[in-house]
Amino acid sequence: MKLPREGTLRGIATFLATFGIGVATYITIADSGGGAPVCVAGGHGCQTVAESSYSHVFGVNIAVFGIVAYVLLLGCALPRGDVARMGGFLIALGGFGYSLYLTYLEVFKIEAICQWCVASAVLMTLLFAANATRMLGYVGREP
Amino acid sequence: MNGNDERRQQLIKIGSAAVFLAIVAVAVLIVVSGSDNGGGDASNVKGAPEVNRLLGGIPQKGLVLGESSAKVALVEFGDLQCPVCKGYSEEVLPAVIESRVRSGEATIEFRNYTIIGPESIPAGAAAIAAGKQGRGWEFVELFYRNQGTEDSGYVTDGFLKAVAEGAGVPDIAQWEKDRKDKAVVSEVEETTAEARNIGFEGTPSFAVEGPGTKGLEPIGTPRSVSALEEAISKAR
Repeated sequence: MKLPREGTLRGIATFLATFGIGVATYITIADSGGGAPVCVAGGHGCQTVAESSYSHVFGVNIAVFGIVAYVLLLGCALPRGDVARMGGFLIALGGFGYSLYLTYLEVFKIEAICQWCVASAVLMTLLFAANATRMLGYVGREP
Repeated sequence: MNGNDERRQQLIKIGSAAVFLAIVAVAVLIVVSGSDNGGGDASNVKGAPEVNRLLGGIPQKGLVLGESSAKVALVEFGDLQCPVCKGYSEEVLPAVIESRVRSGEATIEFRNYTIIGPESIPAGAAAIAAGKQGRGWEFVELFYRNQGTEDSGYVTDGFLKAVAEGAGVPDIAQWEKDRKDKAVVSEVEETTAEARNIGFEGTPSFAVEGPGTKGLEPIGTPRSVSALEEAISKAR
């Protein structure tokens, strides 16, 4: 199977990470104002998730950790080389794993779905796919 | 195999190990959060989404729910262990909260009237402590939805913590301190004495205060949503 060019994968990762920063920043801003993200299709899912005890870790909204992860992923998507390839892969792996856990919490613990959290989980999944393809296809090779 | 290939193999091995570790970490997180079914964990507590939907977006201070500018104050004297209060909380109050409290017309305050037994006191103190962190009503509503048999020993530290966590109390360590604070426990006793002085003999008992009343007027235990709404309208 022919792999996409590394430049294409980096471009995709750059776009997704930038979009992810936007989503996570919106959730953080909505929370900092004492509210919750507005569910585009209506419903109370976003509010329920935002008000659950799982939305904060050590008093910090988990969306803040999302911003940090997306910024790091953007930082790995821009440069060439193995450090960026491995860094992008490991951060995306962590983000993807944590997104899986958060989705589990939404479905089975909080019993509510927040569209913004789903959007972030989808972005993180796509970033993991892009970074895993980049790592497997190009790590150890010339930039 | 040249040096680049060796390096590539090595990095892919590291990546594979990381994937394995990530799978283990996620599995452990899910198993741990799913198996915490004993006391002291929010996973024991049911109904948090429903309570959040009921109360979401309504301001609260202490155990007062609603806009501070509301003209009418409805006061519920209740016991968290009381099954009738639980029924009220689930069947009557949601409609009143939606029609009169969310609209800004009235506030509703929960005051402890501990008549069931000794376990009602720590439960009531825990609600007041949750109120100090803006989650008092979530605590009260969630407690009712997870209420056990009166004085059966279910009001343990673990159960209270589970309710507090389910209610979204942000600082559990502070809540633990507050709920054991003498002043907080005294408040439970004071509101209980107040209810007795008013003449209430059971829970839940209600009182209402507004421009149309002479101070806090007892209205007993109205049997329906419309009766409570009527009392609020008269107090305006």
